[in-house]
Amino acid sequence: MSPHSAPSDDEAPGLYLHVPFCASKCGYCGFYSQPTAGRDMHRLVTALLTEVRRHHATPAVRTIYIGGGSPTSLPVDLLARLVETVASAWPDAREFTVECNPGQAGVEMLSVLARCGVNRLSFGVQSFHAGELELLGRRHSVDDALRSVRQAQDLGFANVGIDLIFAVPGSTLDSWQQCLESALSLGIQHISAYSLSFEPGTPLYEARRLGRIDSVEEDTDRAMYELAIDLLAAAGLAQYEISNFAREGFECRHNMGCWENRPYIGIGPSAASYWLGERTANVADIDAYIRRIEAGLTATEQRQQPNHDDCICETAVLNLRTRRGVDPADFQRRTGADFRKVFAASLHRHERDGLVETQAGRIRLARRALAVADSVLCDFSSL
Amino acid sequence: MDTKYIRNFSIVAHIDHGKSTLADRMLELTGTITAREAKEQLLDDMDIERERGITIKASAVTMHYEYEGQTYMLNLIDTPGHVDFHYEVSRALAACEGALLVVDASQGVEAQTVANAYLAVETGVEIMGVINKVDLPAAQPEVVAEEIEHVLGIRRNECFAISAKTGKGVRELLDAICELLPAPADRSSEPARALVFDSHSDPYRGVICYVRVFSGKLRVRQRMRLMHTGRSYLITELGKFRPAMTPVEELGTGEVGYIVANIRDLADVHVGDTVTDDANPAQDPLKSYQPPMQMVFSDFYPGDNTEYSKLRAAFEKLALNDASFSFVPQNSPALGFGFRCGFLGLLHMEIIQERLERENDIDIVQTAPTVSYEVIMSDGQVRRIGSPSELPDRTHIQELREPFVRLEIITSTESIGGIMKLAEARRCKLVKTDYLNPTRVMMEYRAPLAEIVYDFYDQIKGISRGYATMDYELTDFEATNLVRIDILVNGQPVDALSIIVHRDNAEQRGRKLILKLKKAIPRHQFEVPLQVAIGGKIIARETVKAYRKDVTAKLYGGDVTRKMKVLKKQKEGKRRMKSIGSVQIPQKAFMSILDTSD
Repeated sequence: MSPHSAPSDDEAPGLYLHVPFCASKCGYCGFYSQPTAGRDMHRLVTALLTEVRRHHATPAVRTIYIGGGSPTSLPVDLLARLVETVASAWPDAREFTVECNPGQAGVEMLSVLARCGVNRLSFGVQSFHAGELELLGRRHSVDDALRSVRQAQDLGFANVGIDLIFAVPGSTLDSWQQCLESALSLGIQHISAYSLSFEPGTPLYEARRLGRIDSVEEDTDRAMYELAIDLLAAAGLAQYEISNFAREGFECRHNMGCWENRPYIGIGPSAASYWLGERTANVADIDAYIRRIEAGLTATEQRQQPNHDDCICETAVLNLRTRRGVDPADFQRRTGADFRKVFAASLHRHERDGLVETQAGRIRLARRALAVADSVLCDFSSL
Repeated sequence: MDTKYIRNFSIVAHIDHGKSTLADRMLELTGTITAREAKEQLLDDMDIERERGITIKASAVTMHYEYEGQTYMLNLIDTPGHVDFHYEVSRALAACEGALLVVDASQGVEAQTVANAYLAVETGVEIMGVINKVDLPAAQPEVVAEEIEHVLGIRRNECFAISAKTGKGVRELLDAICELLPAPADRSSEPARALVFDSHSDPYRGVICYVRVFSGKLRVRQRMRLMHTGRSYLITELGKFRPAMTPVEELGTGEVGYIVANIRDLADVHVGDTVTDDANPAQDPLKSYQPPMQMVFSDFYPGDNTEYSKLRAAFEKLALNDASFSFVPQNSPALGFGFRCGFLGLLHMEIIQERLERENDIDIVQTAPTVSYEVIMSDGQVRRIGSPSELPDRTHIQELREPFVRLEIITSTESIGGIMKLAEARRCKLVKTDYLNPTRVMMEYRAPLAEIVYDFYDQIKGISRGYATMDYELTDFEATNLVRIDILVNGQPVDALSIIVHRDNAEQRGRKLILKLKKAIPRHQFEVPLQVAIGGKIIARETVKAYRKDVTAKLYGGDVTRKMKVLKKQKEGKRRMKSIGSVQIPQKAFMSILDTSD
C-alpha cells in the first residue's frame, strides 16, 4: 500500500488509459481510434503521461487498464515508457491489464509488459475462423492469435483472457461451438463473448444496410449465447457478467469496479471518468487532446453530475449486469437507498414473470432474462 | 327595459363559416368592445376551443344598439358548432326568439347547416339566412342563396350578404335583427320564470347560472327556487355579460344574464331547469328539454394503478364545468380499477381526453370508444349498456338494440358512388337523395351509430377529397343481429378489447382485429397468443413472437451515461401500456380495434 493513509480499497478508483491508435480500423468498431499511419505517437504518449501525472495526488488506484484502440500498435519503447510510468506511480494496484492485438504483441513486447508489472493480458482474438476475421476486418490470422496467447503463457502470464465475437454474418451454431472449443483449448482464464452489434457509421453497418451481408437470425444469435454460457461453465469459466466469463478468482477486477459503480479515472482522448461524483469524458480528438494537455488545460469536454436518483439507478443497472447481482446491504451502503423498496414495482413484476431471482440474499437477473436483459434493466433506469 | 326593444338570438353555423368572427364584429359595431380589445374569437374562452376553432360551451353577451332613435338590447347567445354538441345548440336556441343561420359564400350549405336549421325549426325560432365571406374571390353568393332556398326554405331574396371579416353588411344585419326578429313576449306581470340555459363553476363564487327571463323579474337579495330540485337560494348577484360579468340590480322579462346564489355544487343545477321566485312561485316550469344523451363511452385507466385517486380528482375537476360528461368507477377484471366515461360524441371525448392530459400528469390508458346499446331482458326489463363487457349472458337477452341516426351527407356529385358503397358496407340505408344544384347533392341515410361514429367521417372526406360534410342526429334504437367478439390475450379474456358487431361481419372483423393487435402489441420475453372468440367459440388465433435477444453486449465505464439514456428511452416506450397478466398492452392496441381498414 502507499505510504500515506490511503482511502479504503472501496473508494480507490480504477485507472483506465486509452491508446487511440490502431494499425487499421476494424469493420465493426465504434470506438474512438485513428490509424497509426502518419501520427506523432511520441507526442501523444507524452501527453498521456502528462495527464497521468496530474493524478499523482490520487494516492491509490485499485486497478489499471490500458486499452484502445490497440495499445500494442505503439512502438515497443513508447509502450514500455507508458506502462513503466503508470506502474511506478501506483505500484500497489492489484490488477494491471493491457489489451493486446494478436500479431502485434510479440515476445519482446510481452516481455516488457511482464517486466513492468502487467499481470493480466486481454487479447482481441475475436474469432478462430479465418473467414470471420476477414469479414470483421481484423488484420491478424488465426495462427497469430494462437501464437500470441501461447507466448504470453510461456512468459509466465497466469491471467490471460481473449475477446470473441459471435453471430458474425455467415456463422452457425456449429462454427461458434468450434470457436469456443478452440478458445478453451488454450487454457486461458477469461473470455469475453460479444454478440456482433452493428454500430451506425461502421463499414459493417453500411454493408448490412446495403444488403451485402445479413445479420444472423435472432434465434441463432440467442442459441449461440446460451451455448457459450453452458459450454464455458462446463469448462470451468463461469459467467460473471452478461458478456464475461472467467475461472474463479480471475474475474476482471477493473471491469467489476465499473459494474459495482465504483469510481474510475480515464486518461487519454475520449476516455471517460467517474470520479469525485462526476461523470466526465475527455475530448474525442487526438490533436485537440494533445493541444489541451500541452497548454496545461484539462482534456475534459463533457461533464455531468449524476444526482442521487441517477446514482441509485446506475448502480442498480450496472450491478444487475453481473451474476452476483445486487447485494441489498451493499446497495444501501453505496447509495443510501433500499433496493427492494425503490424498485418495488419493477421487482414485483419481473420476479412474478421469472426474470429476476433472489439467490443467497442477492437479487439478480434469472438465466432466461440474460439474453433480453435490456428489456428488464430498462425498468431500473429511472425512479 | 321594455321587451319591445329586446332581441335574443343565436348564430348557428358550420365550423369555419365565420360564426365567431361575426360575433366579434357585432361586439365592435355595438361598442361592446373596442377593436383593440377584440381578441380574436372572444367568445371562445377555453384554449382547446380556440385551438380547434370550435365552440364547446354556449355563452352569452349583451349588446346595446341604436336603431331608429331607440336603444335596443341585443342578447347574443353563442352556440357550439359541432355535431356532438347539438344538445347545447338546442338549449341555446330555447333561450332565443331568433337565429342567424350563417353560410360561407364559397362553401355553400353543409350538412351541419342543415342539421342546425332543423334544430332551429324544431325550437320554433325565427331564422334569418346570412351569407358570409362575400369578400372572398371564390364567393358565389347567388348560388349559395339558391341552395339556402332549396334546402332550408329561406327565400333567397331574404338572405343577407355580409363579410364578417371586413364588416361589410354587418350594420345592416344588426338593423334587420331589430327590425325583423320578434321581441320577447311581455309577461312582466306574471310570476318570475327564468330558463337556466347553461352554468359553470367558479372557484370563488360557486355555480354561476346563465339564465333567460321569460316572465316577471329577478332581483338581487330575492330568494329564488329551482323548480326541478325544489331547493331555494338567496340571489347574491345578478349580472350581464358585457362581455365581462357586470352586476345589475335586476333582470326583467326578456333579458339574459347570470345569477350567483351561493350554489356550491354544479350537480345541483340542472341546465334546462326553471328559476322562480321562492315567495311567489310560478305554477308550472318552462318547457324543459331532455338531458343530453351520452352516445359514446370509453374506459379510462391509470397506467399505474396507484394513480387511481389522482385520476378521480382530475375527472372531478373536469366534470365541474361539463355537466354532459360523466364518469363512474369501473373495475375491469383485466385492467383493474378505472372509470367508465360517457360523452356526447367522439369529439367531446377527444376534448376531455386532451384536457385530462394537458392539465394533469397522469399516464392514461383508454379503451376504444363504444356506443351505448339497449338490451331487452327476458323479463322485459330494458337496460342501457355502454360497454360490450356489460352485455348480459345471451340466455337472458330477449333483444339487443343499437342506436340509429338520421345521417346527412352533402357532397359533390362525382363522389356519390364511393360514398354510397361505403355507406352500404356500413349498413346504412339510403332514405333520400336531393340535388342542391347540378354539382352538389345531399344524401340522407338511416345509419347505425356504431358504424359511423369512429372513422366514417374521415373515410367520406377521403372519398370526396375533402369535399363531403356530414351530420347526424339520434333517432331511435333498433334490434339488429348483434354479437360480441371477445379477445383472449395469453389465454386471458380482455374485456376492454371486446366489441359488439353485426353477426354478418363478426368473423371477418375478428380476424382483422387480431392481426391489428398482433402489430400493436410489442414482443415480450415470451410468446403471446391472441385468440378471437365469438359466442365462446375460438374462431382465430395469432401469435406475437417472443423476442429472443435484447441485450447490450458491451457496457463499460465510458458507456454508462449513454446507455442509461437508451434504457430510459426504452422504459418510456412502456408508458401508456396496461399490464394484463404478464403482457403489456399499449394504448394503440386498445384503439386498433376501431380500425376497420385492411
